[in-house]
Amino acid sequence: MILLVLSSFAVALTLLGFFVSVPLFKRLTILGLSLALLSLLFTWGKPFAFGPYQVDGISQVFTLLALLGALWTVGLVRTRRFEFYLLVLYAALGMHLLASTKNLILMLVALEALSLPLYALATWRRGEGLEAALKYFLLGALAAAFFLYGTALHYGATGSLLAGTPGEGPLYALALGLLMVGLGFKVALAPFHFWTPDVYQGSPTPVVLFMATGVKAAAFAALLRVVSPGAPEALSLLIALSVLIGNLAALAQKEAKRLLAYSSIAHAGYMALALYTGNLQALGFYLLTYVLATGLAFAVLSEVSPDRVPLDHLKGLFHRDPLLGLALFVAALSLLGLPPLGGFWGKYLVFTEAARVGQWGLLVLALLTSVVSAYYYLALGLSVFQKGEAVAAPRPLARGIALLAALALLFLGFLPGIVLPALAQGG
Amino acid sequence: MVVLAILLPILFGLLLLLGLPRALGVLGAGLSLLLNLYLFLTHPGGVAHGVQAPLLPGAGVYWAFGLDGLSALFFLTIGLSVLLGALVAKVEGRFLGLALLMSGLLLGLFAARDLLVFYLFFEAALIPALLMLFFYGGEGRIRAIYTLLLFTLAGSLPMLAAILAVKALGGSPTFLLEDLLAHPVGGNAAFWVFLGFALAFAVKTPLFPVHAWLPLFHQENHPSGLADALGTLYKVGVFAFFRFAIPLAPEGFAELQGLLLFLAAISALYGAWVAFSAKDFKTLLAYAGVSHMGVAALGVFSGTPEGALGGLYLLAASGVYTGGLFLLAGRLYERLHTLEIGRFRGLAESAPGLSALALFLFLAMVGLPGLSGFPGELMTLLGAYKASPWLTALAFLSVIAGAAYALTAFQKVFWEGGQRGTEDLKGAEWPFAFLAVAALVLMGVFPGFFVKGLEPLAEAFAKILGGGA
Repeated sequence: MILLVLSSFAVALTLLGFFVSVPLFKRLTILGLSLALLSLLFTWGKPFAFGPYQVDGISQVFTLLALLGALWTVGLVRTRRFEFYLLVLYAALGMHLLASTKNLILMLVALEALSLPLYALATWRRGEGLEAALKYFLLGALAAAFFLYGTALHYGATGSLLAGTPGEGPLYALALGLLMVGLGFKVALAPFHFWTPDVYQGSPTPVVLFMATGVKAAAFAALLRVVSPGAPEALSLLIALSVLIGNLAALAQKEAKRLLAYSSIAHAGYMALALYTGNLQALGFYLLTYVLATGLAFAVLSEVSPDRVPLDHLKGLFHRDPLLGLALFVAALSLLGLPPLGGFWGKYLVFTEAARVGQWGLLVLALLTSVVSAYYYLALGLSVFQKGEAVAAPRPLARGIALLAALALLFLGFLPGIVLPALAQGG
Repeated sequence: MVVLAILLPILFGLLLLLGLPRALGVLGAGLSLLLNLYLFLTHPGGVAHGVQAPLLPGAGVYWAFGLDGLSALFFLTIGLSVLLGALVAKVEGRFLGLALLMSGLLLGLFAARDLLVFYLFFEAALIPALLMLFFYGGEGRIRAIYTLLLFTLAGSLPMLAAILAVKALGGSPTFLLEDLLAHPVGGNAAFWVFLGFALAFAVKTPLFPVHAWLPLFHQENHPSGLADALGTLYKVGVFAFFRFAIPLAPEGFAELQGLLLFLAAISALYGAWVAFSAKDFKTLLAYAGVSHMGVAALGVFSGTPEGALGGLYLLAASGVYTGGLFLLAGRLYERLHTLEIGRFRGLAESAPGLSALALFLFLAMVGLPGLSGFPGELMTLLGAYKASPWLTALAFLSVIAGAAYALTAFQKVFWEGGQRGTEDLKGAEWPFAFLAVAALVLMGVFPGFFVKGLEPLAEAFAKILGGGA
């Protein structure tokens, strides 16, 4: 149903793009994404399967997050070319597909279907973004090759193309490792994170918002199917590296988008803690709060400037526009995981998963790096209150969405229990 | 009722943050005190007014609040302290709003009957504290903010690990205090669990050597003393050791008891030492706080019922008199625009009322019999003596030193030569003075009335540790 809505809108809009005006085109894209979202909500908790395409709990939770990210991006962007919206729509289609299959071949196709539009989107602004986009493209192609090689070895080891098939032996371990590399690149787990800071800094902010929310959600859905439960030992190395590199490198950043890029690496590490048990509830809730908070942060940044945003340029934002300033403050605190915001419960849930499988070493490391992260999140959050000449000309729509997201983070902080059963029902 | 008492100041705080006038905040603080007083006076013993609603039922987390004798006492002192602050601190409405917000979160912290909800309030109270410091603090506030934040988080995140471990390893079905107490952690893990709690609570006691955030926090906060009074109430470490850390992992505590008693005694002495040589009012009060909390912690760590009772009573009493002294410092700053002790001279001549109020507050801090500091200090030292005579003697030195630094400061400011004229008590300062003095005297003369709800808790506490030393 969702697949049908998304693909028919994508195909129809590809043709229509040459005839209708851009504002109308934007509305049609939003309509398509909203319809997909509605059909998702109406069929919530009801599994559906058609060949290798399987809509189950994982698919629904992560598609919801990816669609939210896509809608947010489309709502925020200011562009006069219709291709932007179309590319987002195609990428959303790929994300849904990636989250909705166990078949490794179909996963690879979906991975490419979501990546290709993103390569194009990353180059949206020519100039300095070009180098970053080229890096993204080359490394992305390499990652896809790893994934393909992993698929082949997986088939050799188990005789099956279905992710999650149990197996043993060095060949199987190697296969899982290669698949993990391919997906680790997309979610920006260290040491496959090198593209992240450059691409986040060089790409237009709405595109970055999409990468940080939608892509991460979809790729985590695939990761969840591939590695858990019974994640390989190597995962703990990736997690340890991600939380260390992400948090430590973020300390030195002076530019907000770059800072958030390192923060997203660290958060990928925290989320991966939930892969040990494959608990959909924990991972889904973490991603939900992460998508809201990081989306909110990028949304505010994109109202300040579509370009780079040095931290100094955020000074005084609160006095210029109290709503946006407070929203960024709330987003930073939620990313830090301070109660009573939603981010706290996300952290709590994934840390519980780590405790459940007895990964105490990783748990302590994650907690310690959370302390470190307080420094830069606070620098980001408090900068809006300092004296300065921040410029911002937010549109009413952007302010409304920012308000909604901030309220949602507060709501999830006080009553996380309301959302969790719905996530569990999906799984 | 409890929920109303917690929400009332939060609601008024939010209204004030929206820009409503300051007078409304005073009204809110007054109503809050009345409600808390009512809850305290009608407290039937045991855990009263319990409420429970699911928060994350799957994970065993409940919005659970209840009022035992201990919480009721702290409700009273928090309400009182906040009203005192609201009466005299000449600050803008939003500042008072943040203070009310923080007091509501602190009430929630003291009433929480679920370990994770306690943690939630423990952390959440940090946000208004940081914001008060950020918006109204002095020149070096950014450094003070980071120090406070990093110390708090470095303590509280290991605590989160300990919280997860205490349920996972103890086998309790929920985070409710009753369930956790029925499933204490034992064996080797108890040591680590207790250590996680101890780090967080030592920062918030504050115990030497993790007290370093406190002087900065007080020096950089707004001179009115309102944020300092709230900060004083935020020093919940002694309470949290008593309520959570020690009962949940008694075996872990037993292993660390010696070290903790030693650190508490050192804090008491070290705090007094530095306070004696402090040049300005707030540094003096900050280190006096370290010293007093060292004494209070010594009582709780002694594991005896008298010690625990005394330590908690001292904590409650110090919330009022230390907070009162910070507010008094704010009054002096408003008159003379300085906090340096050496710059005030002989104020008693021109401001006898102010001088009398200060004398009461200082003497309560010194622990003069008949005022609120005395009963707690006495019981603490009696209890601690049973556990460790030598360290108690060491800590007792700090009490003597307390008399030295407090009276020296008082003498310099109000009596010693070189007259400097200033205004006497005026306006809202009169009710402030009466309320404060009444509280000090009542808490000093009728301690039995205030601790009657505490006694069974202290007995139960000692029983967990094997019937006292």
